[in-house]
Amino acid sequence: MAAIILKTKLLLLALAVASLALPAFAQEINTDTGIIDATKVFPAKPPYSPYAARNSPARPFFGDTHLHTSLSFDAGAAGCRLGPKEAYRFAKGEQVTASSGQPVKLSRPLDFLVVADHSDNMGFFTDFLAGKPELLADPTGRKWYDMIQSGKPDQAQQAALEIVFGFSQGKFPKALIYAPGTPGFRSTWREIVKSADEANEPGRFTAFIGYEWTSLVAGNNLHRNVIYRDDGSKASLVEPYTATPPQGSPNPRDLWKWMAAYEEKTGGELLAIAHNGNLGNGTMFPIIESFTGKRVDREYVVAREKWERLYEATQMKGDGETHPFLSPNDEFANFEKWDKGNLDLSEKKKLEMLEFEYVRSAYKNGLKLEKEFGVNPYKFGLVGSTDAHTGLATADEDNYFGKVSSSEPSPKRAEHPFMTNPKLGLKIMGWETSASGYAAVWANENTRESIFDAMKRKEIYATTGPRMVVRFFGGFDFEVADANNRMPAKIGYTKGVPMGGDLRDAPQGKALTFLVAALKDPMGANLDRYQIVKGWLDAKGDTHEKVYDVAWSGDRKAGADGKLPSVGNTVDVPNATWSNTIGAPELIAVWKDPDFDPSLRAFYYGRVIEIPTPRWTAYDAKYFGIKMPKEVQMTVTERAYTSAIWYTPAQ
Amino acid sequence: MKRILREPLLHFFLLGAAIFSAYRLVSKRSSDEPVRIVISAGQVAVMAESFAGTWRRPPTRAEIEGLIRDRVQEEVYCREAMALGLDKDDTIIRRRLRQKMEFLTDDIAALAEPTDDELSAYLKAHADAFRVQRQFTFSHVYLNPERRGENLGRDTEQLLAQLQQSGAQVDFSERGDPFLLEHKFQSVLASEAAKLFGEKFAAKLGELSPGQWNGPVESGYGVHLVWVSERTEGRVPALAEVRDTVRREWANTRRLESNERFYHELLKRYVVTIERPKPMEKRIADAKIK
Repeated sequence: MAAIILKTKLLLLALAVASLALPAFAQEINTDTGIIDATKVFPAKPPYSPYAARNSPARPFFGDTHLHTSLSFDAGAAGCRLGPKEAYRFAKGEQVTASSGQPVKLSRPLDFLVVADHSDNMGFFTDFLAGKPELLADPTGRKWYDMIQSGKPDQAQQAALEIVFGFSQGKFPKALIYAPGTPGFRSTWREIVKSADEANEPGRFTAFIGYEWTSLVAGNNLHRNVIYRDDGSKASLVEPYTATPPQGSPNPRDLWKWMAAYEEKTGGELLAIAHNGNLGNGTMFPIIESFTGKRVDREYVVAREKWERLYEATQMKGDGETHPFLSPNDEFANFEKWDKGNLDLSEKKKLEMLEFEYVRSAYKNGLKLEKEFGVNPYKFGLVGSTDAHTGLATADEDNYFGKVSSSEPSPKRAEHPFMTNPKLGLKIMGWETSASGYAAVWANENTRESIFDAMKRKEIYATTGPRMVVRFFGGFDFEVADANNRMPAKIGYTKGVPMGGDLRDAPQGKALTFLVAALKDPMGANLDRYQIVKGWLDAKGDTHEKVYDVAWSGDRKAGADGKLPSVGNTVDVPNATWSNTIGAPELIAVWKDPDFDPSLRAFYYGRVIEIPTPRWTAYDAKYFGIKMPKEVQMTVTERAYTSAIWYTPAQ
Repeated sequence: MKRILREPLLHFFLLGAAIFSAYRLVSKRSSDEPVRIVISAGQVAVMAESFAGTWRRPPTRAEIEGLIRDRVQEEVYCREAMALGLDKDDTIIRRRLRQKMEFLTDDIAALAEPTDDELSAYLKAHADAFRVQRQFTFSHVYLNPERRGENLGRDTEQLLAQLQQSGAQVDFSERGDPFLLEHKFQSVLASEAAKLFGEKFAAKLGELSPGQWNGPVESGYGVHLVWVSERTEGRVPALAEVRDTVRREWANTRRLESNERFYHELLKRYVVTIERPKPMEKRIADAKIK
């Protein structure tokens, strides 16, 4: 087995080396084991059978890297009663009873799941709910307990909000905090680890061990999910890191130190995924660090690039790809937008914060920082995930069980405020939560190791829910005919690098080319178009971005403004239906960057847009026979974002 | 008089007097005839071992003396505390005792190793939970309805005829339209096929005749011509194949059952009266009305 893995790694390495298009490829390599003749180890002629010796991933695995259960203190506060065991069962496709008492089942099983409960106060709520006297002895604890026990959903939700708000503002009663080193915390972590190990079925379903490090500085969201490659034998040796001093810290630098210490102590492996820059009020992708007020330094950029391999670009609390203010020429930029303030709405959003909150602008600023430090801290891959606090990883519009258990399906949930701050006049309504998203991983097999390694090399993409298959290859040699090959992936891996990869030093006279392909969700809507988003750093050090349509359904022609006409809309809102009479089931194309400049740093990523479909609010309106307020969005254009491919010129 | 009896201050004094006399009883006994505390050689050995377990070396003389002194102090405090009734109404102690009772029943349940007959019966009773799914090995050629447009039906028929004529040996790798997933699937579970192609396609796979080109089979993507080379029917596995899983599930069920039974046996020894405070009853009633 080890030999096979080694061989796979070697082959991938060989592919990566080959794709760098070195002018003279050394046939003989001097190594510790003597001279290796590359032509013998990697024969030039492939075997007759195109399926033999295939070492590249053949299908994506879909999952959620960010799900909370009753063990998260805020989820418990909002009424979640499902623990990690139930969460894994549900993800595997079993029907379960949701906290609101309604039966629920996924349209089809997921391939993997990370239960990522908040490490701060982990397990607090389950004990709190059981009426643990130490917790009720605190007057605030007593008040919250009575509100939750009152049997009134409004009171319970109010208590939940106060708990979250109190925590986010650092006003959580000290006596109530569950911290590392306490018996309650330790046994909760053991339970999480055990549930994951039990649910993990290599080859069938991957249950990752993980947790969420919940750093909130004055309500600014700096959260990260920490994911383990390891099983319980390593993960249970060290208790999770928290954001509360003295054991923890809200500064990501300290989390990275903790991660390094874990790896050193156990020989295990971790990665971190940040999310919701949109609720961080300009602190998620800093150039000036919020903790020091100083410019990020080399230590910061190196550590961030090392530990934060991925970013959660879309989830229930809004989409994070880009913002209309940052991308005024992008007609698809205004999507499931949450830009009123920070996580608890304690501070109003200012326009100058946006640049440091979204994927695209972070990718752009990453190029700047790379020029300065030689390392790009914002060279991350993209995932979508739910961040549901229900134990239910639902991202389908017609099966949306809400962000928290108190917003599981009911006639009132859309009009119920999710978060308010009357003092600042800010309010986020229930209908603004988004039925999103999943992570799709190009891994060789469905195991912790294989999926984790694919995450680390960023061969992964985000979807807002639909399980579309998306390929994105970059190289210097793709030709138009490659789009007609019956096995696009094979050409892709042979001639280029997949999403998450790097390309350097364009050969003389060659431009960057991309082989892109997308296949619709077998149960979902057709595809409208495949776009490539390019960002680059010009010679003066300024950043730019441009969106190109590269493949689309039908024979639409771009207008005088260079924009492709809309695909149309078949959504019947009152009946919550649509038809696949427009759009295409599959899109494949080869695209050559017409504006390629080999001397400039650039990134490219794919964006696949579905035809419009009914939003969860339309399904709610139909099922409950209610009328939604005018401002409620009733349709959605679901999408996928691939991890970028970065181009770096010769120094 | 009645009013005086109900006065909390009186209760407080009475309670104080009771505690005081209890304390006198205890302290009297301990002053008159000292109670023996024995730290056995076995206990000392255990202390030394657990010290060595933590520090990777045996304790020094001073260290072991310190441990013994500490143990004696712990013993004295524990006995005095229990004599004073300080263990009563302490949540941590109560919870720990309850947990120990639960461990007890867990252990009893875990002790009994199931016989094969018991496991077979369990497997039979919960057959669906252990069922091995149907599996397929198949190849397919894809036709993209958007590319083919109006010609989709005609193209499908022609291609099917060609494939049928050439049979198994045909090189179909250049037929049909490009497709992002694979063209050959080896021993795929029905649920996997459903994930990749949709339920309808997966169900249809079960109906096709193996060893020939079939079609058109519809999926969420369009139309496929399909060659099923092998189909393994779903079945309830023999006990030997899934013994560990069945054993785990059986043990879990047994554990829950025996805990429940044990508790109910114990509960029979008690008459439970619950006196609810008034406001709570009102609250429950309010909630019901809502």
